[in-house]
Amino acid sequence: MPDFECRLKKYRQLKEMTQEQLALEVGVRRETIMRLEKAQYNPSLKLAVDISRAVGAPIEEIFIFK
Amino acid sequence: MKKTTKKLTIFFGIVCVLFTAASTCYSITFNDSRLVEPMDFSKYVFQVQDLPMLLSGIFLGLFVLYLFIQLIRAIVIKKFRESGVKSTRKLNPKLGLLGFCGFFGLMGFWTYSVDKTIFPFAFFMFFGFFGFFYEGKMSDTFMDERYLENKMKAHFTANKIALAIIFLAIVILGRGSLLGNLEYTLIALLIIISLSIALEVFLSEYLLYHYDHDKQNFQDEE
Repeated sequence: MPDFECRLKKYRQLKEMTQEQLALEVGVRRETIMRLEKAQYNPSLKLAVDISRAVGAPIEEIFIFK
Repeated sequence: MKKTTKKLTIFFGIVCVLFTAASTCYSITFNDSRLVEPMDFSKYVFQVQDLPMLLSGIFLGLFVLYLFIQLIRAIVIKKFRESGVKSTRKLNPKLGLLGFCGFFGLMGFWTYSVDKTIFPFAFFMFFGFFGFFYEGKMSDTFMDERYLENKMKAHFTANKIALAIIFLAIVILGRGSLLGNLEYTLIALLIIISLSIALEVFLSEYLLYHYDHDKQNFQDEE
């Protein structure tokens, strides 16, 4: 299990996006977004950058490694 | 393959077969079965009467070569198309029932007792088709990076387990004959390798499904 905290849900909701919309925008499945929000999946750098652009927040604010 | 190309291929196939049949009949009836019956080609001397058989042989050879090229072409085109596909193939989970074909491997015990044939033991490999059940469940799934990562992990684990079993079997069985009979050793090895391959095929699908689905159930939080 990746040892990090993920604040994706917060930023996604701020942007008023659904998981489905975000998944479509970054080219993954909704299940992957769900796993990410629960910090149960460690994304690739590309996915992390895509997500950060999609929700308009810096990577280090979304994924916080302990 | 286009419809007209398909029709032409079938047409030329039929023509080749008919031509070969006709020239064989001609050779048997009027040419002492030359080029039909086995003959010593080191002493072969060309005769005009051999021409139909030679021509039909050349045509048949060319046709088989054409079919072979078409087959390779179809495989390459299919691979090329698949490389652009982003979803898993569509498959009915009921195809997993084909796994029961693995029981055909038991025929090996009967064929061995009758005429010492051991190849039916290899049918145990068909147990791997049970994996279609899980592949069917993952049918038409979008292959994102998490899916591909899970797939690699599942294949790696399945390969490792299957190879470990095969390695252990070779180490144990390779030490000597089983029950004092070398043939039993070979049979045991064939069964173990077939079952390991089946396990590898099944496990890679099962583990992929397991990794992709749950350690815990997710609820839609929308």
